[in-house]
Amino acid sequence: MPKPAKSIDLMSDEQLMETVKNGNLQQASILFERFHKRIFNFLVHMTGNREAAEDLTQNVFLRMLRYRQSYNPEMKFQSWIYQMARNAFADHYQKQKQLKPANMEVEKLNDSLPDLAEALEQEETEKRLIRALAKLPDDYRELLVLTRFQHLKYEEVAGFLNMTVANVKVKVHRAISQLRENYFELENA
Amino acid sequence: MDKQKWESRLIDYIDGKATEEERAAIEQELLRNEGVRTRYNQLTELLEVIKKTKVSEPSISLKVNFEKALQEELATQTKPTKTIRFSPMLYRVAAGFVLLMAGLAIGYKINQSKIESDKLVQLQKEVEENRRMMLAMMDNQLSASQRMVGVSVAYEMERPDDEIVSVLVKTLNEDVNTNVRLAALDALGRFSSDNQIRNELINSLKTQKDPVVQIALIQLLVEMKEKSILIQLEKFTRDTGILKAVKDEAHAGILKLS
Repeated sequence: MPKPAKSIDLMSDEQLMETVKNGNLQQASILFERFHKRIFNFLVHMTGNREAAEDLTQNVFLRMLRYRQSYNPEMKFQSWIYQMARNAFADHYQKQKQLKPANMEVEKLNDSLPDLAEALEQEETEKRLIRALAKLPDDYRELLVLTRFQHLKYEEVAGFLNMTVANVKVKVHRAISQLRENYFELENA
Repeated sequence: MDKQKWESRLIDYIDGKATEEERAAIEQELLRNEGVRTRYNQLTELLEVIKKTKVSEPSISLKVNFEKALQEELATQTKPTKTIRFSPMLYRVAAGFVLLMAGLAIGYKINQSKIESDKLVQLQKEVEENRRMMLAMMDNQLSASQRMVGVSVAYEMERPDDEIVSVLVKTLNEDVNTNVRLAALDALGRFSSDNQIRNELINSLKTQKDPVVQIALIQLLVEMKEKSILIQLEKFTRDTGILKAVKDEAHAGILKLS
């Protein structure tokens, strides 16, 4: 009997994506299983809207299938998929801006938060945290979500945001500082 | 020291990233400076809340829609790319089949001329061994990838025998892995002109519980213009326990078949 093929479970994300690129599309399901919750949670925190996050997550994995030929195997798959999630969010944000004046966007985001919080059965503190997060500028929110909620290392984030590790750290600390102010302001509101 | 710098030092302290010397300096400051102490307490509370944030679960429709999109993308691919070409195992098994089919033909000629009949016996034995190997792969409960390879080999066959059809049907109806079920459906779909296989597909629609496979089955049977499934499709549209994506597909099927 020939030796068994390498188990799919042991294949790295990069190896799987390379097989998808080479035409074995079924393996995309495994990448979906490994990453869809992370991408969904990233987008939930970025948009503050569960429904939009689900649509955008769908969009990210469709992009993964459609643009599979553009995947560079030397790039970490995680960086590639997060980059697509960022692009999907940026497109969504642009569309929202075209639909409403810029200052309405934050209101809309805030309006959707109680529903989101209710749907997620969050405790009061978590509701307040999401509200405080929504008040941050996009780049701060993104850095915080990636490093503190998604637990990505500074090095990984620096890689796909094209920043130095030191710069990521400084910005994350500033974002935490601003989040602290927002969070405790809401406590007293 | 400015406020931001203090916050940064406190965050490193809470994260356990401060040096021993730095820790001692911060602890001293915490004792004597109320403002720093307040910020420390707030940061500790905030970082703890972040740590305890629940992971949100997406709805099942996200997975169903992705699998559907994947099947559509697969359908646009040309048939040869459905083969798992990168797999050395599949290469071996597929190559083995080609070799053995050729071997059988050669064996037949050999038999006809009654020369080297021992070689024919050997070849027939090898055909059977490879066939068994494929069936064993399809029955490997520990590895979905092995089952997938087995099913993919069956897909490449000119016409599977009854035992292979029976294993494919079992896989379609019972395999725990959606992708393996879909691959079995693909393989059976190639021989849908065969009445037995056609009936197995119709029966599978009645018992199939996997929504992704239900959708793919409906699409295939509608493409086959199989009007006998109309009653089943009607049932799907009324069933409250069925996913919306499946209901939509059933509605579309009814429209196309009516």
